[in-house]
Formats: sequence, C-alpha cells, structure tokens
Amino acid sequence: MDRHQIEDVVVSAIRIINQGRTPEHQLAESADAALYGAGSPLDSLGLVALLIEVEEGLREEGLAISLSDERAVSQKHSPFRSVPALVDYIAGRLGNPA
Amino acid sequence: MNPPRHILITGASRGLGRALAEHYVERGDAVVGCSRGPATLEHPQYSHVAADVTDEAAVQRLCDQVRERCGGLDVLLNNAGVGRMLPVALTPLATARRLVDVNFLGTFLLTHAAVRLLRHSPAGRIVNFTSIAVPLRLEGEAIYAAAKSAVETFTRVVAKELGPLGITCNAVGPSPIRTDLLRNVPEEKLQALIDRQAIRTWAEPQDVINIVDFFLKPESRHVTGQVLYLGGLG
Repeated sequence: MDRHQIEDVVVSAIRIINQGRTPEHQLAESADAALYGAGSPLDSLGLVALLIEVEEGLREEGLAISLSDERAVSQKHSPFRSVPALVDYIAGRLGNPA
Repeated sequence: MNPPRHILITGASRGLGRALAEHYVERGDAVVGCSRGPATLEHPQYSHVAADVTDEAAVQRLCDQVRERCGGLDVLLNNAGVGRMLPVALTPLATARRLVDVNFLGTFLLTHAAVRLLRHSPAGRIVNFTSIAVPLRLEGEAIYAAAKSAVETFTRVVAKELGPLGITCNAVGPSPIRTDLLRNVPEEKLQALIDRQAIRTWAEPQDVINIVDFFLKPESRHVTGQVLYLGGLG
C-alpha cells in the first residue's frame, strides 16, 4: 500500500467520524490536517474513535494493524498529531517508510 | 423480546461463564465462548475458541475469529478469572503475577481488542467481574482482591473513555457461588463470609445473570461505570 492510498484511508476515516461530530467540532478532511494537539478540536477520546476507523479502513484493504502506541497522546511526539504524521507512522508500521 | 446479540464470554467452559453462555444461547443470542480448554457446551448458537486471555496474540486471533463469524460484537463479558487463598507472606511471585495477569490484564487485553468489534453495535456493552473480596478486604486474598480492585477502577475509567462510542462498561461482584473458583477455600471460611452478608445465603449463577441482564438491556444505556455487589455488600 503506498502513501497516497494510506492517506485516502485516513481522510475517509476523518469523514466518517465527522458524521458523528457537531458542526463546531468538525475536523478538516484534508491531507495536511492537524489531528491531535494544538489547533485541532480532537481530544484523546475523539482520537480513539478516529484511530479505530483508520484501523477498520486498513483492514478493509487487507492490512490488520493495531494503532496502539505509548506516545499516542504526547503533545510533541504523538504519531497521530496530523494526517502526514499518521500516514508516516502507518507506512513505517507496514515496513514502507515514507 | 429484544433482537439476538453477538456475545463474547471469557472463561466460558466452567462455572459462571458456562452458566452465562447457556443462558444467552437459550435466549437466542449468538455466543462465542473462550477458555484455555475445549468447549463444554454444544448448541447451534454456541461456538468456542480455545484461547488464554493473558496471551495477546491468542486474544487477537480470538477477536479475528469473532469478526469472521459474527462481523462484530454487541457484548463482551470479561468473566475469566482465577482465585487463590494465600497470605501475602506465603505467596510466590509467580502466583501473584498469574493472579494479576488473568484477573486484570486479561480484562484489559480483551477490552482493548473488543472495542474495535463493539463500536458499531447499537448497544455495546462490556461487563467485568469483580469480587466481594474487594469491599470485605478479605484476609488471605490480598493479591486477588488487589487485582479485582484494579478491575473496578479500570471499569470506571473505561466507562468514560468508551461512553462517546456508545459503549457502556460495568462490573458485577458476585457473593460466594459454588463454582470451581472456590473449590480450595475451606467450607468454614466460606460460611463465615456468607454470615457477613446482608443476605446470608449462597448465591446462584442466576443471581449474577440477573445483574448482567440488567447491564445488557438497551434501556440501561445510561448505566455505566457502576460496580454492583451481590449479597448486600459494598
């Protein structure tokens, strides 16, 4: 799976969780969106919902990975701080570093 | 009558877990049971997976099979547990570790994996199993009670974390029931325990099933983070 395909899975997951979020808490559905941390309306509980959707999207592509990481909610080092960081992280987990 | 649900029960081959499995298949639910050994229940609505709840890879395989067979889950009953009556001064580290691994980390591992399966359920439910050893601060069961205390705190925090996903998480603390878990506890100790209860009789599996049924009802959607003991303790 290449970087662009991973990006599609992540943005699709954002689109899905936005359906359950109020208008003022919508996430940007773009390839450079901030996810967790400053500048994002996503809190740690919202992050869980998003990552589960991303896992599901990857599973539908035949890739079963768990996005559990002890740095998950670190403000500086979270691999989930933005769409590009998350895509890099997934690519690395798949043995396909960006 | 509510529609059938997909239910995963750990420790399903004996005691309370087996009674829960029987109850829910008779109700028409599809039950997947797991235990380290083979199935002890045969029923068209029941399937069994051999898995140790302390083994992360085995738990993942179990959840993969649940996904294949059921597509998702509505209910997780974290029933698997082990008990040992031993004073702290006589408890080997390996025994303590096993008590924490099965009773607490097993509950964590199943919850961690099953959240992915529960998220699309219209009424996702997790029920954990604690013990009256916690409110009684039962001498001789320090490690077991500490592990179950961890389960209680875990239950309350998970309730907050999974509330936004529409999943409730509660715990039930049975008073003594005649199951394998208590087979090595002397009868007089058990009777002394029962004498400390408000209801001074042995509980039956049905008493626990009644509480679990309550937690599972769609109408219980606002009941979460609760720990309910039988026998009038707590």
